[in-house]
Amino acid sequence: MPSPEEVRQVLRSILDPEFPVSVVDLGLVRGVEVDGDVVRVRITLTSLGCPCVELIREDVRRAVQQLEGVREVVVEQVFERWSRADITPEGLQRLREAGVV
Amino acid sequence: MDEQALLQRIREGKLVEGPQHATERYLEGLKRTLIVSADTELISAPAYLRAARHAPSLNAYVSALGIIQDELGHAHIAYRLLEDLGVNTRQLVYERDPRDFKHPYAFDVPLDSWTELVVANAFYDRAGFVLLGDIFRHTSYGPWKRALVKVDREENFHLRHGERWMEILAANPATREELQRAVDWMFVMTLEWFGLPDHLKRHTEQIEYGLKGSTNDQLRQEWMSTAVPLCERLGLRVPAHYDPQLGQYVVDCPFPAEFDEENKRWRFEDGPVSWDQVLQRWRRRGPANGELVFQLQRAYRQLAA
Repeated sequence: MPSPEEVRQVLRSILDPEFPVSVVDLGLVRGVEVDGDVVRVRITLTSLGCPCVELIREDVRRAVQQLEGVREVVVEQVFERWSRADITPEGLQRLREAGVV
Repeated sequence: MDEQALLQRIREGKLVEGPQHATERYLEGLKRTLIVSADTELISAPAYLRAARHAPSLNAYVSALGIIQDELGHAHIAYRLLEDLGVNTRQLVYERDPRDFKHPYAFDVPLDSWTELVVANAFYDRAGFVLLGDIFRHTSYGPWKRALVKVDREENFHLRHGERWMEILAANPATREELQRAVDWMFVMTLEWFGLPDHLKRHTEQIEYGLKGSTNDQLRQEWMSTAVPLCERLGLRVPAHYDPQLGQYVVDCPFPAEFDEENKRWRFEDGPVSWDQVLQRWRRRGPANGELVFQLQRAYRQLAA
């Protein structure tokens, strides 16, 4: 079974559907728990009416499911506040390059 | 600046930053290209909104609205560039006759269901993605090139939304047939979107001036190179296939053809028609043209009254 850090590592490969930044660097991942062969990922969204919610959930589920020893992935949507301050310095750099910020 | 100096600048790979670097003929070609792009993005908003009402869930509806909002943003970018070139965009958007809009005929055929909307996202937005991607890579006009970075990513989301929903609809026997019917008319409609084949094309300054990099036929091929495999993967029939000997995609139906607007089907039984007949149909515009433009202009008219 993977460690939470290994799960986070795979989440770094998942880009936001609209921006070339990973969901980790965008500050959307709010918790990873590994309980036996069940992985629980808590994600928040940049806005309540996020048009990409289904795509993000599916991408997260699919990527984590690939890890060895994972039987079930639970993607839990939490309504924690998100702001620009949650973007990592790497994420901000990528967004600057894309002309977004 | 004279013609020769302009062409020299473009050949050296330097960008045109404004009228001071360009000729009248370049600016006219640029404006014509920008108006088509702006009108296409703009008209897609009411066209998509009309069909979004049929969204099967709240999340699906929010996704559709997100796409519509993006399209309005893209339209705004193109109109803003036109405004900077001295074009009266208020007149263009709010006072123009619906038939004078320059979007493809495809958007004049109404989208009547969630199924048709998601196929539009997968097919029409892919056409936009191919066309704008080409402009992004090749345009000699600096302000447009820089503005397209963000557009490219957003169109990517629209494509994924369309593909994801096509997968869902294809997997369900209850919705599969309706999906195939939408693909049947919308596939050929998008082929037509790319316009006259290269040997009939009249405006050549688009390539000459580096406003775009690829020809209509090349762009049509590029569109098919991802649209056809998508449909094949989902087990949907499309009238085109890859010919390994020719190294390109081949269209397997009479093309161009006459379109039966009432029943939304191609009259393949009448055989291929001439591009002159297609141009006539485009100039007449399609059934939803007036309704969609009216929606865009309604509030402006009410305020002016």
